[in-house]
Amino acid sequence: MRVRDFLNLTGSSLIAHRMRSFLTALGIAVGIAAVVLLTSIGEGVHQFVLSEFTQFGTTLVGINPGKATTAGTSMGMFGTERPLTIEDAQALKRLPFARAVVPFVQGNAEVEAGNRRRRTTVYGAGPDMPDAFSMKVKSGRFLPEDDPTAPRAFAVLGSKLRQELFAGSSPLGQRITISGNRYRVIGVMESKGTLLGFDLDDTVYIPAARALNLFNNDTLFEIDVMYDEDTPVEKVVKGIKDTLKARHGRDDVTITTQQQMLDVLGSVLDILTFAVAAIGGISLLVGAIGIVTIMTIAINERTNEIGLLRALGAREGQVLRLFLGEAIVLAAVGGLSGLALGVGMATLLHAALPALPVQVPVTYVVLAEAVAVAIGLVSGVFPAYRAAKMDPVEALRAE
Amino acid sequence: MIELAGIHRDFQVGDQTVHALDDVSLIIGDGEYLSIMGPSGSGKSTLLNLIGLLDRPSSGRYHLNGQDVTSLSDIAQAEVRNREIGFVFQMFHLIPRLTAAENVELPLIILGLSPEQRQPKVAAALEELHMTDRSHHKPEQLSGGQRQRVAIARAIVTEPKVLLADEPTGNLDHNSGKAVIAILETLNQRGITLIMVTHDTEMGQRARRRLRMVDGRISNEQNGAA
Amino acid sequence: MALHNIDVLRFSWRALRGFPSRTLLMLIAMAIGVSAVVLLTSLGEGARRYVTGEFASLGTNLVIVFPGRSETAGINPSTMMGETPRDLTLEDAQALLRDRSIRRIAPINVGSAVVSRQNRSREVVILGSNHDLLTIRHWQVGQGRFLPQADLDRASPVAVIGSKIRDELFAAKRALGEWIRIGDRRFRVIGVMGSEGRSIGVDVQESIIIPVASAQQLFNTASLFRILVEAKNRDAIETAKQFVIALLQERHQGERDVTVITQDAVLQTFDRILGALTYAVGGIAAISLAVAGILIMNVMLVAVSQRTAEIGLLKALGAAPQQILLLILTEAVMLSAIGATAGLLLGQVGSYFIRVSFPLLPAYAPAWASTAALTVALITGLVFSLLPARRAARLDPVLALSRR
Repeated sequence: MRVRDFLNLTGSSLIAHRMRSFLTALGIAVGIAAVVLLTSIGEGVHQFVLSEFTQFGTTLVGINPGKATTAGTSMGMFGTERPLTIEDAQALKRLPFARAVVPFVQGNAEVEAGNRRRRTTVYGAGPDMPDAFSMKVKSGRFLPEDDPTAPRAFAVLGSKLRQELFAGSSPLGQRITISGNRYRVIGVMESKGTLLGFDLDDTVYIPAARALNLFNNDTLFEIDVMYDEDTPVEKVVKGIKDTLKARHGRDDVTITTQQQMLDVLGSVLDILTFAVAAIGGISLLVGAIGIVTIMTIAINERTNEIGLLRALGAREGQVLRLFLGEAIVLAAVGGLSGLALGVGMATLLHAALPALPVQVPVTYVVLAEAVAVAIGLVSGVFPAYRAAKMDPVEALRAE
Repeated sequence: MIELAGIHRDFQVGDQTVHALDDVSLIIGDGEYLSIMGPSGSGKSTLLNLIGLLDRPSSGRYHLNGQDVTSLSDIAQAEVRNREIGFVFQMFHLIPRLTAAENVELPLIILGLSPEQRQPKVAAALEELHMTDRSHHKPEQLSGGQRQRVAIARAIVTEPKVLLADEPTGNLDHNSGKAVIAILETLNQRGITLIMVTHDTEMGQRARRRLRMVDGRISNEQNGAA
Repeated sequence: MALHNIDVLRFSWRALRGFPSRTLLMLIAMAIGVSAVVLLTSLGEGARRYVTGEFASLGTNLVIVFPGRSETAGINPSTMMGETPRDLTLEDAQALLRDRSIRRIAPINVGSAVVSRQNRSREVVILGSNHDLLTIRHWQVGQGRFLPQADLDRASPVAVIGSKIRDELFAAKRALGEWIRIGDRRFRVIGVMGSEGRSIGVDVQESIIIPVASAQQLFNTASLFRILVEAKNRDAIETAKQFVIALLQERHQGERDVTVITQDAVLQTFDRILGALTYAVGGIAAISLAVAGILIMNVMLVAVSQRTAEIGLLKALGAAPQQILLLILTEAVMLSAIGATAGLLLGQVGSYFIRVSFPLLPAYAPAWASTAALTVALITGLVFSLLPARRAARLDPVLALSRR
């Protein structure tokens, strides 16, 4: 039998029962649309989170005091008898691959300017910070290259804090007080938004050594090192480890590479997307049962036709393929309309809620259609096999 | 030439064995006109199905044109059915969603001919049955007699040597029935072997050779004009 | 003229029995949908119960005090982790005990230090606290005793160690009464924690607990990481919270520089998030119920056209259109009811196996999910069979009988 004749015969029977074919394909379409829509949302969230993270660059390594516990986090930043110091940061800066090194202290204090006051996050940082985290200064300049152990009392404001304290007037050159200590504002940062609950705009940046003093602390929270893209990350980690080991006499820090974090985050989000797709896939399973049911009914109804085809000399294989073809076409058409439906809804969703990131992953789209065809194949096999194995004499005689 | 020798066909009904055909031997020459009559359950349809290779005997030998067809594979039997044998049924068995022409085309599609090869054959078969002007009608738009003519066109479109008709007039009124028989006889006169199962004595008597079956056996045979 | 209900049911049942394979397939479809909803919501519910259980094990009637406060939001990572110029001190903690609404407090300091004994050493999480921590957290001491009842500012050199630390430093030897070195100080082991006591973030079995004043010396700090406050009872939680805020504001020269949260608030947040997740997952699974509904509609349509003659006969025998409608609807609803019940059982069995395989996860399907799944299944069955039923009811008896 020729392919075209095969398709004509298959098509004619599907068209003859329009309503039935439509409803069967609709079952598959709903399932595929659900999977496509859900994975689109999943993929959108994935992309969104990754871009949030990579906005700081991917060649970053974070060093925290203390060894990580099995719970995953280092408790060293809360207190340790082996502090991470500004001198450590200076030593790391001498490493050949270190493009930027930022000592980092974080805290919470009340900031005063004139008669306005606001409780906010205080970051103790170094002059390399804009470089390392690809942050931009909106006006003025960032903290200058002072002696890191005795820097001048300069402060740089986040955009939101600037609004709160200096609405309408220029903050540059103004004096502010942070917990009783006076600083001069030398710059304002561009808005960065929030990242996982950290409001990066409601902040003030001061030199790390002054922050340590302010908070009466002797260890840095973290040192961030941005390395040359050409240097392999293993070499960076080893260089840092060796330097600090030489200075501390033991290996007592936790090193986290940005890449590691991205990998972990990526795989977690992948699993989530997959899980959601699988739950949506339950509808596909039900749709597949729909195909089995309708094909079973069709074969019962068309028993005479099967007998006739056999009497006219059709082989078992030809009968099998005819009915299998019907199931596959049903599923494939359902799959295609489900794709259109899913992509359409994803686009609508994106238009209605721009905040919700939606991204239709091409691989999932192709996969979804392949799955639909496979569903047709699998759910068609049993009824089609029954049709092929029918005794032609019995089939012709059936009412 | 159809040669049946010692054919048995047993069916299992419940825990009983029914002997639908009980030692049937029969030789039918090319171009013969044979009718098989007998009461319900006498085995006449079973015999027709066996000749048409829709069924296999429990024992015995069946040679078609000198070839032993009992031992052929299912696929090879299907091919023989497609090329050598045409079927006409009581219920017509037209596919309702296909037009008359498409129904006639079906055996050629199964054979694997191209549309260009099929087209003239379909047209010729329909012409032969005077159904050319109905070729684009669906079966439900045709009368019973017209449906059976389409079915006969389908049976002869592959130019088979044998035409098997199972109660071809059973679902038709008297006049349509006579017309259909006339068509089948015309085909027989052109050399096709015509084997017809019927319980209508008037139709059956028209055949030159008449078999009567009772309980799975050929109880008597008549030759010549009745 | 009215059909008896029992006759309607019997008629529908016979109709379904007449096509066993198609009936079975539709039942499976419905059952998959319902059991998916039941199973997935039971997973969500399990996760919710697990997390709330974990939080409850942190203690009861808890109010937690953090140093630092940001105006952006109530609680965010920067207040949880940051430091403040003004310390939350031991004196602050001590002062909290003045109010009647507060039963006990536990100041906490956290850090990491190298702990060694003879030639074994490792980095360990050090918790500085007091005697009451044990009661507040509902922990158990495995051997020996917990930190003694003493003034908060007394830095006695005693330590209670987690069982994993005991295994690593002492192996099979006796730990009680032995000396270990934490940083540059010596401590005597007075107790080993029982196997109970996991809490979010910190594994007690891998920690060492020392008096809070000792921890402050060790880490050279005067400030506390946080203070756990246990209110007298549930009703006193809010009073206690207000008292803590007012007291600390007064002690800190009128500046409100601490964040005070109640355990209830945190619990409710998690409860809400996981509850919403359960709804979402259940909803996604319910899409399959809609697909099953489409299938029922499809098959009922087929059934009506196949049984045209039968319906014509019923009409000829005097059946009213409403009765035909009733018959077809009964058939569909019966189908969804049986399928949904099977799905419900399947889902319950599935969640039972989840509970057996993962004893940590109390995966019980919430009642609302089972009820909703069942209701949705019945309604889909009914709604999707309306079209075929109406078609059957409107059949012209003469045409219906004459068609073969």
